[in-house]
Amino acid sequence: MIAKKVLLVGNFGVGKTSLIRRFVLNEFSEDYISTIGVRVSSKIVSYQNKDIKLLIWDVAGTSEDEKIPKAYFLGASAAMYVFDLSREETYNNIEAFLDSIKQLSNLKEVTIVGNKKDLLTAEELKTVTNAITVPIDLVTSAKENDNVADAFLQLASQAIK
Amino acid sequence: MKEKTVNTVKDNRFELLKELLLEDDREKFTALSEEIVQREKLSKKVNPLIDSKINDLRQNFPEYFGSTITETIKTQIRDSQDEVVDALYPIMGKLIKKAIVSEITKLSERINKTISEKFSVKQMFRRFIKGKNTDAEDVLQEVFEASIEQVFIIEKDSGLLSGSYSKGDIADKDMVSGMLTAIKSFAEDAFSKENQNLEDIKFDNFQLTIKNFKTIYIAIATSGVLTTDFKENLADNTNNLAEIILRERKYLEDETKLNVMIERHLIA
Repeated sequence: MIAKKVLLVGNFGVGKTSLIRRFVLNEFSEDYISTIGVRVSSKIVSYQNKDIKLLIWDVAGTSEDEKIPKAYFLGASAAMYVFDLSREETYNNIEAFLDSIKQLSNLKEVTIVGNKKDLLTAEELKTVTNAITVPIDLVTSAKENDNVADAFLQLASQAIK
Repeated sequence: MKEKTVNTVKDNRFELLKELLLEDDREKFTALSEEIVQREKLSKKVNPLIDSKINDLRQNFPEYFGSTITETIKTQIRDSQDEVVDALYPIMGKLIKKAIVSEITKLSERINKTISEKFSVKQMFRRFIKGKNTDAEDVLQEVFEASIEQVFIIEKDSGLLSGSYSKGDIADKDMVSGMLTAIKSFAEDAFSKENQNLEDIKFDNFQLTIKNFKTIYIAIATSGVLTTDFKENLADNTNNLAEIILRERKYLEDETKLNVMIERHLIA
Protein backbone atom coordinates (compact mmCIF):
# COMPACT_ATOMS: atom_id res chain seq x y z
CA MET A 1 0.00 0.00 0.00
CA ILE A 2 1.21 3.49 -0.79
CA ALA A 3 1.78 5.66 2.30
CA LYS A 4 2.01 9.44 2.08
CA LYS A 5 2.68 12.16 4.58
CA VAL A 6 0.23 15.04 4.27
CA LEU A 7 0.08 18.28 6.23
CA LEU A 8 -2.78 20.21 7.74
CA VAL A 9 -1.78 23.76 8.52
CA GLY A 10 -3.71 26.79 9.74
CA ASN A 11 -4.24 29.17 12.64
CA PHE A 12 -5.34 27.97 16.06
CA GLY A 13 -9.04 27.27 16.33
CA VAL A 14 -9.84 27.04 12.62
CA GLY A 15 -11.05 23.46 13.02
CA LYS A 16 -8.19 21.40 11.61
CA THR A 17 -8.41 18.93 14.45
CA SER A 18 -12.20 18.75 14.15
CA LEU A 19 -11.81 17.94 10.44
CA ILE A 20 -9.42 15.11 11.32
CA ARG A 21 -11.68 13.90 14.13
CA ARG A 22 -14.56 13.77 11.68
CA PHE A 23 -12.45 11.93 9.13
CA VAL A 24 -10.19 9.73 11.24
CA LEU A 25 -11.06 7.75 14.31
CA ASN A 26 -7.68 6.60 15.55
CA GLU A 27 -5.76 9.29 17.32
CA PHE A 28 -2.67 9.62 19.40
CA SER A 29 -2.82 10.57 23.05
CA GLU A 30 -3.90 14.17 23.59
CA ASP A 31 -1.14 14.79 26.16
CA TYR A 32 1.68 15.06 23.66
CA ILE A 33 -0.05 17.37 21.22
CA SER A 34 0.16 20.65 23.12
CA THR A 35 3.81 20.02 23.95
CA ILE A 36 5.23 19.20 20.56
CA GLY A 37 2.71 21.11 18.43
CA VAL A 38 1.75 18.34 16.06
CA ARG A 39 -0.71 15.47 15.97
CA VAL A 40 -0.14 12.52 13.65
CA SER A 41 -3.17 10.47 12.61
CA SER A 42 -3.48 7.82 9.95
CA LYS A 43 -6.30 6.97 7.61
CA ILE A 44 -6.59 4.73 4.58
CA VAL A 45 -8.47 6.32 1.70
CA SER A 46 -9.48 4.77 -1.56
CA TYR A 47 -8.66 6.94 -4.55
CA GLN A 48 -8.96 5.76 -8.17
CA ASN A 49 -9.19 2.13 -7.01
CA LYS A 50 -5.99 2.46 -5.00
CA ASP A 51 -5.68 2.32 -1.25
CA ILE A 52 -3.55 5.14 0.07
CA LYS A 53 -2.49 5.42 3.67
CA LEU A 54 -2.45 9.07 4.66
CA LEU A 55 -0.23 10.02 7.57
CA ILE A 56 -1.88 13.30 8.48
CA TRP A 57 0.37 15.74 10.35
CA ASP A 58 -1.87 18.31 12.00
CA VAL A 59 0.54 21.17 12.64
CA ALA A 60 -0.64 23.53 15.37
CA GLY A 61 -0.69 27.18 14.41
CA THR A 62 0.84 28.53 11.23
CA SER A 63 4.17 27.99 9.60
CA GLU A 64 5.21 31.50 10.66
CA ASP A 65 5.05 30.45 14.26
CA GLU A 66 8.67 30.15 15.34
CA LYS A 67 7.88 27.45 17.88
CA ILE A 68 7.08 24.92 15.17
CA PRO A 69 10.08 22.89 14.04
CA LYS A 70 10.63 23.32 10.33
CA ALA A 71 11.28 19.57 10.12
CA TYR A 72 7.51 18.99 10.47
CA PHE A 73 7.10 20.22 6.91
CA LEU A 74 9.78 17.99 5.36
CA GLY A 75 8.90 14.95 3.28
CA ALA A 76 5.24 15.84 2.83
CA SER A 77 3.50 14.85 -0.40
CA ALA A 78 0.57 17.22 0.01
CA ALA A 79 -0.66 20.01 2.26
CA MET A 80 -3.99 21.53 3.19
CA TYR A 81 -4.31 25.06 4.50
CA VAL A 82 -7.38 25.37 6.67
CA PHE A 83 -8.93 28.71 7.64
CA ASP A 84 -12.03 29.71 9.57
CA LEU A 85 -14.64 31.28 7.30
CA SER A 86 -16.06 33.15 10.29
CA ARG A 87 -12.77 34.73 11.43
CA GLU A 88 -11.13 37.24 9.15
CA GLU A 89 -7.72 37.07 10.84
CA THR A 90 -7.37 33.43 9.72
CA TYR A 91 -7.45 34.33 6.02
CA ASN A 92 -6.18 37.91 5.98
CA ASN A 93 -2.58 36.88 5.29
CA ILE A 94 -3.43 33.71 3.43
CA GLU A 95 -1.00 34.37 0.55
CA ALA A 96 1.93 34.83 2.92
CA PHE A 97 1.01 31.66 4.79
CA LEU A 98 0.75 29.68 1.57
CA ASP A 99 4.15 30.93 0.38
CA SER A 100 5.66 29.97 3.69
CA ILE A 101 4.16 26.45 3.59
CA LYS A 102 5.33 25.95 0.00
CA GLN A 103 8.82 27.12 0.87
CA LEU A 104 9.16 24.87 3.92
CA SER A 105 7.63 21.78 2.36
CA ASN A 106 8.86 22.20 -1.23
CA LEU A 107 5.32 21.62 -2.44
CA LYS A 108 4.00 23.46 -5.47
CA GLU A 109 0.33 23.22 -4.58
CA VAL A 110 -1.58 23.56 -1.35
CA THR A 111 -5.25 22.61 -1.00
CA ILE A 112 -7.16 25.55 0.48
CA VAL A 113 -10.12 24.78 2.68
CA GLY A 114 -12.50 27.19 4.41
CA ASN A 115 -14.02 25.51 7.46
CA LYS A 116 -16.99 26.32 9.75
CA LYS A 117 -19.36 26.90 6.85
CA ASP A 118 -22.24 26.22 9.27
CA LEU A 119 -21.58 29.53 11.05
CA LEU A 120 -22.34 31.64 7.95
CA THR A 121 -25.46 32.38 5.95
CA ALA A 122 -25.31 31.78 2.19
CA GLU A 123 -24.95 35.51 1.61
CA GLU A 124 -22.15 35.88 4.18
CA LEU A 125 -20.36 32.88 2.68
CA LYS A 126 -20.47 34.50 -0.75
CA THR A 127 -19.06 37.77 0.61
CA VAL A 128 -16.22 35.95 2.39
CA THR A 129 -15.24 33.77 -0.57
CA ASN A 130 -15.25 36.84 -2.84
CA ALA A 131 -13.04 38.73 -0.42
CA ILE A 132 -10.35 36.02 -0.35
CA THR A 133 -7.63 36.65 -2.89
CA VAL A 134 -6.76 33.04 -3.66
CA PRO A 135 -9.06 30.37 -5.12
CA ILE A 136 -10.63 28.23 -2.39
CA ASP A 137 -10.76 24.53 -3.19
CA LEU A 138 -13.50 23.55 -0.74
CA VAL A 139 -15.70 24.96 1.97
CA THR A 140 -16.38 22.49 4.76
CA SER A 141 -18.18 22.05 8.03
CA ALA A 142 -16.60 19.56 10.37
CA LYS A 143 -19.58 20.00 12.69
CA GLU A 144 -22.11 19.02 10.04
CA ASN A 145 -19.76 16.61 8.23
CA ASP A 146 -20.10 18.63 5.07
CA ASN A 147 -17.40 18.13 2.38
CA VAL A 148 -14.94 16.71 4.92
CA ALA A 149 -14.28 13.44 3.05
CA ASP A 150 -13.99 15.39 -0.22
CA ALA A 151 -11.33 17.64 1.29
CA PHE A 152 -9.21 14.65 2.26
CA LEU A 153 -9.78 12.96 -1.09
CA GLN A 154 -8.46 16.08 -2.75
CA LEU A 155 -5.46 15.89 -0.44
CA ALA A 156 -4.94 12.23 -1.43
CA SER A 157 -5.13 13.10 -5.12
CA GLN A 158 -2.55 15.85 -4.61
CA ALA A 159 -0.34 13.41 -2.68
CA ILE A 160 -0.12 10.81 -5.44
CA LYS A 161 0.33 13.26 -8.33
CA MET B 1 -92.81 -16.88 52.79
CA LYS B 2 -93.65 -15.08 56.03
CA GLU B 3 -90.27 -16.03 57.49
CA LYS B 4 -88.56 -14.61 54.46
CA THR B 5 -90.26 -11.23 55.01
CA VAL B 6 -89.07 -11.16 58.58
CA ASN B 7 -85.55 -11.90 57.42
CA THR B 8 -85.64 -9.07 54.92
CA VAL B 9 -86.77 -6.62 57.56
CA LYS B 10 -83.98 -7.90 59.84
CA ASP B 11 -81.45 -7.46 57.05
CA ASN B 12 -82.60 -3.91 56.42
CA ARG B 13 -82.32 -3.09 60.06
CA PHE B 14 -78.91 -4.62 60.18
CA GLU B 15 -77.81 -2.57 57.18
CA LEU B 16 -79.23 0.57 58.82
CA LEU B 17 -77.38 -0.20 62.03
CA LYS B 18 -74.18 -0.82 60.06
CA GLU B 19 -74.60 2.49 58.30
CA LEU B 20 -75.14 4.32 61.57
CA LEU B 21 -72.23 2.69 63.36
CA LEU B 22 -69.66 2.60 60.53
CA GLU B 23 -70.37 5.92 58.84
CA ASP B 24 -66.94 7.35 59.65
CA ASP B 25 -65.16 4.20 58.61
CA ARG B 26 -67.10 4.09 55.38
CA GLU B 27 -66.05 7.66 54.55
CA LYS B 28 -62.44 6.82 55.27
CA PHE B 29 -62.73 3.69 53.17
CA THR B 30 -64.17 5.68 50.22
CA ALA B 31 -61.46 8.31 50.51
CA LEU B 32 -58.79 5.63 50.67
CA SER B 33 -60.10 3.73 47.67
CA GLU B 34 -60.34 6.99 45.70
CA GLU B 35 -56.76 7.76 46.59
CA ILE B 36 -55.66 4.31 45.43
CA VAL B 37 -57.59 4.64 42.17
CA GLN B 38 -56.12 8.12 41.63
CA ARG B 39 -52.64 6.81 42.35
CA GLU B 40 -53.09 3.95 39.87
CA LYS B 41 -54.31 6.37 37.22
CA LEU B 42 -51.43 8.71 37.93
CA SER B 43 -48.83 5.96 37.91
CA LYS B 44 -50.11 4.75 34.54
CA LYS B 45 -49.39 8.19 33.13
CA VAL B 46 -46.24 8.97 35.07
CA ASN B 47 -44.45 5.59 35.11
CA PRO B 48 -43.47 5.58 31.41
CA LEU B 49 -42.08 9.10 31.83
CA ILE B 50 -40.10 8.09 34.90
CA ASP B 51 -38.84 4.94 33.15
CA SER B 52 -37.70 6.93 30.16
CA LYS B 53 -36.00 9.48 32.42
CA ILE B 54 -34.25 6.68 34.35
CA ASN B 55 -33.07 5.14 31.08
CA ASP B 56 -31.86 8.51 29.88
CA LEU B 57 -29.98 9.06 33.15
CA ARG B 58 -28.54 5.57 33.02
CA GLN B 59 -27.20 6.14 29.52
CA ASN B 60 -26.08 9.75 29.87
CA PHE B 61 -25.14 9.91 33.54
CA PRO B 62 -21.45 10.69 32.86
CA GLU B 63 -22.47 13.48 30.48
CA TYR B 64 -25.01 15.07 32.86
CA PHE B 65 -23.15 14.69 36.13
CA GLY B 66 -19.58 13.66 35.20
CA SER B 67 -18.06 17.11 35.53
CA THR B 68 -20.03 17.90 38.71
CA ILE B 69 -18.99 14.62 40.32
CA THR B 70 -15.37 15.07 39.26
CA GLU B 71 -15.38 18.61 40.62
CA THR B 72 -17.01 17.47 43.87
CA ILE B 73 -14.50 14.65 44.31
CA LYS B 74 -11.63 17.03 43.57
CA THR B 75 -12.93 19.54 46.12
CA GLN B 76 -13.51 16.80 48.69
CA ILE B 77 -10.01 15.41 48.20
CA ARG B 78 -8.50 18.90 48.35
CA ASP B 79 -10.44 19.93 51.45
CA SER B 80 -10.13 16.71 53.38
CA GLN B 81 -6.83 15.18 52.34
CA ASP B 82 -6.22 13.53 55.70
CA GLU B 83 -9.58 11.77 55.65
CA VAL B 84 -9.01 10.61 52.06
CA VAL B 85 -5.57 9.28 52.91
CA ASP B 86 -6.99 7.54 55.99
CA ALA B 87 -9.74 5.95 53.89
CA LEU B 88 -7.53 4.92 50.96
CA TYR B 89 -4.36 3.96 52.79
CA PRO B 90 -5.51 0.52 53.97
CA ILE B 91 -6.70 -0.39 50.44
CA MET B 92 -3.78 1.14 48.51
CA GLY B 93 -1.29 -0.14 51.05
CA LYS B 94 -2.57 -3.68 50.66
CA LEU B 95 -2.49 -3.43 46.85
CA ILE B 96 1.03 -2.01 46.79
CA LYS B 97 2.21 -4.61 49.28
CA LYS B 98 0.64 -7.37 47.19
CA ALA B 99 2.27 -6.10 43.98
CA ILE B 100 5.69 -5.74 45.62
CA VAL B 101 5.50 -9.20 47.21
CA SER B 102 4.49 -10.70 43.86
CA GLU B 103 7.38 -9.00 42.01
CA ILE B 104 9.92 -9.92 44.69
CA THR B 105 8.72 -13.53 44.61
CA LYS B 106 9.17 -13.63 40.83
CA LEU B 107 12.61 -12.01 41.10
CA SER B 108 13.65 -14.38 43.86
CA GLU B 109 12.50 -17.40 41.81
CA ARG B 110 14.49 -16.16 38.81
CA ILE B 111 17.59 -15.54 40.94
CA ASN B 112 17.31 -18.98 42.53
CA LYS B 113 16.90 -20.61 39.15
CA THR B 114 19.85 -18.73 37.71
CA ILE B 115 22.05 -19.45 40.74
CA SER B 116 21.27 -23.15 40.65
CA GLU B 117 22.09 -23.22 36.94
CA LYS B 118 25.19 -21.04 37.21
CA PHE B 119 26.66 -22.88 40.15
CA SER B 120 26.46 -26.32 38.69
CA VAL B 121 29.86 -28.00 38.38
CA LYS B 122 29.60 -27.85 34.62
CA GLN B 123 28.93 -24.09 34.56
CA MET B 124 31.61 -23.34 37.17
CA PHE B 125 34.16 -25.23 35.13
CA ARG B 126 33.08 -23.38 31.96
CA ARG B 127 33.33 -20.02 33.78
CA PHE B 128 36.74 -20.91 35.14
CA ILE B 129 37.99 -21.49 31.59
CA LYS B 130 36.22 -18.38 30.21
CA GLY B 131 37.34 -16.26 33.21
CA LYS B 132 35.69 -12.97 32.28
CA ASN B 133 32.66 -12.02 34.36
CA THR B 134 32.22 -12.21 38.10
CA ASP B 135 29.55 -14.53 39.52
CA ALA B 136 27.39 -11.57 40.53
CA GLU B 137 27.60 -10.08 37.03
CA ASP B 138 26.63 -13.41 35.54
CA VAL B 139 23.59 -13.78 37.79
CA LEU B 140 22.41 -10.20 37.26
CA GLN B 141 22.82 -10.48 33.51
CA GLU B 142 20.65 -13.56 33.43
CA VAL B 143 17.95 -12.04 35.63
CA PHE B 144 17.74 -8.68 33.92
CA GLU B 145 18.68 -9.90 30.45
CA ALA B 146 18.46 -7.19 27.81
CA SER B 147 16.13 -7.90 24.95
CA ILE B 148 14.94 -6.14 21.80
CA GLU B 149 11.22 -5.37 22.05
CA GLN B 150 10.59 -3.35 18.90
CA VAL B 151 12.47 -2.10 15.87
CA PHE B 152 11.32 0.65 13.51
CA ILE B 153 13.04 1.69 10.31
CA ILE B 154 11.69 5.12 9.43
CA GLU B 155 12.21 7.58 6.60
CA LYS B 156 13.94 10.56 8.20
CA ASP B 157 11.98 13.49 6.74
CA SER B 158 8.50 12.11 6.22
CA GLY B 159 8.34 9.82 9.24
CA LEU B 160 6.89 7.08 7.02
CA LEU B 161 7.53 3.56 8.28
CA SER B 162 9.65 1.40 5.96
CA GLY B 163 9.90 -1.74 8.08
CA SER B 164 9.45 -2.96 11.63
CA TYR B 165 9.70 -5.79 14.14
CA SER B 166 7.71 -6.17 17.33
CA LYS B 167 7.52 -8.80 20.04
CA GLY B 168 3.88 -7.90 20.68
CA ASP B 169 1.15 -6.17 18.73
CA ILE B 170 1.21 -2.44 17.97
CA ALA B 171 -2.14 -0.85 17.16
CA ASP B 172 -0.97 1.52 14.43
CA LYS B 173 2.72 1.29 13.60
CA ASP B 174 2.51 4.06 11.00
CA MET B 175 1.05 6.50 13.47
CA VAL B 176 3.65 5.56 16.09
CA SER B 177 6.47 6.11 13.60
CA GLY B 178 4.94 9.48 12.62
CA MET B 179 4.66 10.62 16.23
CA LEU B 180 8.14 9.32 17.02
CA THR B 181 9.51 11.38 14.12
CA ALA B 182 7.58 14.43 15.34
CA ILE B 183 8.89 14.00 18.91
CA LYS B 184 12.41 13.52 17.55
CA SER B 185 12.15 16.64 15.36
CA PHE B 186 10.74 18.63 18.27
CA ALA B 187 13.50 17.54 20.66
CA GLU B 188 16.23 18.19 18.09
CA ASP B 189 14.78 21.60 17.26
CA ALA B 190 14.26 22.60 20.87
CA PHE B 191 17.40 21.36 22.57
CA SER B 192 20.16 20.57 20.14
CA LYS B 193 22.83 22.74 18.65
CA GLU B 194 24.64 22.37 15.34
CA ASN B 195 22.42 19.65 13.85
CA GLN B 196 22.79 17.14 16.66
CA ASN B 197 20.41 14.18 16.58
CA LEU B 198 18.31 12.71 19.33
CA GLU B 199 19.77 9.30 20.17
CA ASP B 200 18.19 7.98 23.35
CA ILE B 201 14.78 8.15 24.98
CA LYS B 202 14.05 6.36 28.24
CA PHE B 203 10.52 5.48 29.34
CA ASP B 204 9.32 3.11 32.05
CA ASN B 205 11.41 -0.07 31.74
CA PHE B 206 12.26 0.56 28.12
CA GLN B 207 15.04 2.38 26.39
CA LEU B 208 14.66 3.66 22.87
CA THR B 209 17.94 3.83 21.00
CA ILE B 210 17.92 5.84 17.79
CA LYS B 211 20.58 5.43 15.12
CA ASN B 212 20.52 8.20 12.56
CA PHE B 213 21.58 7.72 8.97
CA LYS B 214 21.31 10.04 5.99
CA THR B 215 17.81 9.22 4.77
CA ILE B 216 16.54 6.83 7.42
CA TYR B 217 16.76 6.31 11.13
CA ILE B 218 16.45 3.07 13.06
CA ALA B 219 14.68 3.15 16.42
CA ILE B 220 15.16 0.16 18.71
CA ALA B 221 13.22 -0.31 21.93
CA THR B 222 14.98 -2.54 24.43
CA SER B 223 14.18 -3.80 27.91
CA GLY B 224 16.38 -5.11 30.72
CA VAL B 225 19.88 -4.07 31.71
CA LEU B 226 21.95 -3.04 28.70
CA THR B 227 25.49 -4.24 29.20
CA THR B 228 28.38 -2.72 27.27
CA ASP B 229 28.64 -5.93 25.22
CA PHE B 230 24.96 -5.81 24.33
CA LYS B 231 25.18 -2.14 23.33
CA GLU B 232 28.25 -2.75 21.20
CA ASN B 233 26.67 -5.74 19.49
CA LEU B 234 23.48 -3.81 18.87
CA ALA B 235 25.36 -0.86 17.41
CA ASP B 236 27.39 -3.14 15.13
CA ASN B 237 24.34 -5.06 13.95
CA THR B 238 22.36 -1.86 13.37
CA ASN B 239 25.18 -0.35 11.34
CA ASN B 240 25.48 -3.53 9.27
CA LEU B 241 21.73 -3.56 8.63
CA ALA B 242 21.72 0.13 7.66
CA GLU B 243 24.64 -0.44 5.31
CA ILE B 244 22.79 -3.22 3.51
CA ILE B 245 19.56 -1.22 3.26
CA LEU B 246 21.24 1.96 2.06
CA ARG B 247 23.24 0.04 -0.53
CA GLU B 248 20.17 -1.83 -1.78
CA ARG B 249 17.39 0.79 -1.64
CA LYS B 250 14.87 -1.76 -2.92
CA TYR B 251 14.49 -2.95 0.69
CA LEU B 252 12.95 0.40 1.60
CA GLU B 253 10.22 -0.18 -0.96
CA ASP B 254 9.39 -3.71 0.16
CA GLU B 255 8.23 -3.86 3.77
CA THR B 256 8.07 -7.66 3.92
CA LYS B 257 11.66 -8.11 2.74
CA LEU B 258 12.85 -5.37 5.06
CA ASN B 259 11.12 -7.01 8.03
CA VAL B 260 12.93 -10.28 7.22
CA MET B 261 16.24 -8.37 7.13
CA ILE B 262 15.51 -6.80 10.52
CA GLU B 263 14.84 -10.20 12.07
CA ARG B 264 17.94 -11.71 10.46
CA HIS B 265 20.35 -8.95 11.52
CA LEU B 266 18.98 -7.74 14.84
CA ILE B 267 16.81 -10.42 16.38
CA ALA B 268 18.19 -13.82 15.39
